[in-house]
Order: sequence, then C-alpha cells, then structure tokens
Amino acid sequence: MNVLAAVVILVFGFLLHMLPQLTRPGLFFAVTISPGLRESEEGRRILKRYRQILWSSTLAAIAVLLLVGAPLLAMALQAAGYVWAFLLSRQRTLRHAAAPDPILELDLDAPPERLPGGAVISLIPIGALGVLGLWASQHMDRLPARMAVHWGLQGADRWVATTRGTLLGLLAVYALTCLLLAGTAWGLLHASRRIATSGPAARSERRFRRQIALMILLAEYLVIAPAVFALLAPTARVSMIWALAFTALMVGFGVVLLRAGQGGTRTLPSPAAAPTGDHTPDHCWKWGLVYVNPADPSILVEHRFGVGYTLNLGNRWSWVAMMALLALVGSAVVFLR
Amino acid sequence: MKLRIDLSSAIPVYRQIVDGLRILLVNGELGVGDQLPPVRRLALDLGVHFNTVAEAYRTLADEGWLAIERRNGARVVERSAPAKADPEAAASFRRRLRELAAEVQSRGFPRDRIARELRLVADNLERS
Repeated sequence: MNVLAAVVILVFGFLLHMLPQLTRPGLFFAVTISPGLRESEEGRRILKRYRQILWSSTLAAIAVLLLVGAPLLAMALQAAGYVWAFLLSRQRTLRHAAAPDPILELDLDAPPERLPGGAVISLIPIGALGVLGLWASQHMDRLPARMAVHWGLQGADRWVATTRGTLLGLLAVYALTCLLLAGTAWGLLHASRRIATSGPAARSERRFRRQIALMILLAEYLVIAPAVFALLAPTARVSMIWALAFTALMVGFGVVLLRAGQGGTRTLPSPAAAPTGDHTPDHCWKWGLVYVNPADPSILVEHRFGVGYTLNLGNRWSWVAMMALLALVGSAVVFLR
Repeated sequence: MKLRIDLSSAIPVYRQIVDGLRILLVNGELGVGDQLPPVRRLALDLGVHFNTVAEAYRTLADEGWLAIERRNGARVVERSAPAKADPEAAASFRRRLRELAAEVQSRGFPRDRIARELRLVADNLERS
C-alpha cells in the first residue's frame, strides 16, 4: 500500500515539476512577465530553484512514507514543499513583473460556445436519477434490503438499510454531484473570461475549454453508475471496471491538459501568438493563487500557475458554488456514517 | 470584425464600446440584421460590469442603431438618418475636433501629421 502511495507522490511530483511549462507564456509563477524572462539566465535560475525545493520535499515525503509509514504526513510534506517553492519563486519573479497588455481586441463574429451535445446532455444523468428514484419508490419491495454506499476495489464495503429516507438521500447526493459537474461545465463556457479573443489563440483556447467541458460531462455520466448498480444490480461486481473507467478518464484528462497547456497555448505555433498575461489585474491575485475581483463578472478564471480554472472569490456566485460543494461533502459524510 | 478596447485609457470602457461600435456601424462593417454579442459575453471578456456593456448598447439603441433583444444581446436595425444636423450638434462636433487636435498635439503629434490624419478621414468620408 505504501508503495502505491509512493507512486502517487512521485506522479504528483512530476505534475508539479511540469506546472511552470503548462502556464501561459506571458505568466511565470503567477506574475505577468515580459516574453524574454523565461529564457533568460534569471528565469532559468528561478525555475531551477523551484524544482530543487520541489524534488527535495518529494523525496523527503517518499522517505517518510517508506520509513515511518505515514501517508498523510508524507503528502503534507510534499504539499508544504511545493507551496514554499512556489512562493519563493514568485517573490523572485515579482522583481521582473511587466505591465499586462491593456489592449483587448474582441472578435464580434466569434460564434457562441455551447456545451458538447447541448445543455440537455448535461441534464440527462440528473433526469435518469429522477426516473430511477420514481421507479424505486414505487417498487420498494423489489429493492435489496440494504444499499451499497461505498466501494473498494474488491466490491461494496459499506451499506445502509433501504428505506425511503436513505433512498432519497443516496439519490440526492448523486444528483447534487451531477448538478455541480454540469454547473462547472456550463460555467466554463458561459461564466469564464476568454483571454484570447481573436485569431488562432482564441480558436485554440475555445478547443481547450470544450475539451475540459467534455471531460466534465463524461465524469457526470460515470458518477451515476454506482447509484444505478446499488439499486438495480447490487450483486454485480463492477467496482473494478468502474475504477478502471474512472482512472482512464483521469489519465485522459491529464493527457489533454499536458498536451494543451493553459488555455491551449502549447498547441500554438509560437508562444508569441498568445496574448501577454491573462488580462486580470495582478493586485487581485492573493499569493498568486487566489483571485478576488468584485469588479470582474467572471465566476471562473484561468489559474495563473499551471493549468485549469479557479473561482473568482469576489463574485457572490462563487460562494454559492462553494457552499453547494460543502453541502455535498457534508451530506455524503453524514450519509456514509 | 474587431472591437478594440484599451483598458489603460482614460476614456471609460463604456465610451470606448460606444465609439468602437459606432465606427463599425457608420462604416457599414456592421450591417442591418447583424447580431452583437450578448451583454453578458462582452462584459465577461472585458472584465467589466454587465451594466457597462448594457449602457453602451442602450446608448446606441437610443441613437437608432440597435434593437435590444432580451436573450440574444442586440441586433443592428435599419436606421433612418436624421434629416438635418441641428446647429448645436455641428458646434459640438467642431469643439470636439478642436479638443482632440489639441490633445494629440500636446502629446507630441506634429501639426502636419494631425492635418494629414484629418484629411484622410475626410477623404474616406467623401468616398463612402
């Protein structure tokens, strides 16, 4: 088990090692920079220092894991090393901060972005859960006496007695998860800021967003499978297949992100084709990681370091989304007890 | 078709949107029936409040260029040009031209270049 955890820590080490390369070309450790800094002597020195600290903490984490056998402590050690490496590198990069590009050129002809398959595709899993709930409530006598609520690789390992209350609770947790995933996919296309607004960079960015939205929708379909099996086929041994499918999705997701880079910038013919920075004000980024800008209507914005999106904590809808996430985690914990 | 906005300019974003779109409308690059991006989309891309964009669209709608649609943003409509510019508008135009010329001159633009630019605009107007 510890060997598996060590492999996970190594994979994380590799991903964190790659983060500076996945970031937009005009950003370095969450600071807007001039295009030449990355390739300069100073840029290379900053990057080298970041990786030295990162790998030192990663190797220390693996040593703690194998010698002491404390996976949580090992992960905390790696995380602390990463945060320290990032903040130190950011501090050095801030000395070379450049003014973000103030010019925005918006393409008025750009077609609207839509969820792959339309909004209906994202609502089908929620509808399916509703239908399942209706059917189950009409056929309580045909349901198993207990429902699986947690699975390991060997199959279900935690159950609750089947009652109308537990049935509703189980389906509600899955439905809320699907709703959050659907909301994230929608937010990505309709409530996030586009950085490149014209030319090949905009096309690349659009493809990047669409790929992420597609992956999120696939995850939504995968999420409802355990609920279906818990009620309709409780004896089926599908946890291994589900785990494999989920792993394949995560690996696919990782490959897409690694190949595309932030906003699809790695697919551009040259870094110069991407806009400088991300048009968000530097001072709205706390420690380069948390974005708080009440004047920005975006709910989701691109991470400044690495790849992916983060919430704009200056927008009240971001807090609603976080509350929903907390409610989901809280209800799942209560349900699993 | 591009709308160019300078976020560092002293001119408010609302004004820049109105001016930028009006140029496209006057030049015919935006024609009758063309759809403008929804208020929400434009505001997100510019990182400004929805009201900023909505106000810009409303100003152009008041001038008769746009019809505002609840869900889709705004659409360019047939506009009947005012029969004759009133004297106040002509005086305001002259004053703004002078202010603009003085402003760019104070920024170091030589007089002959300003004159050349104005002539270019005049030539384009005559040709259109």
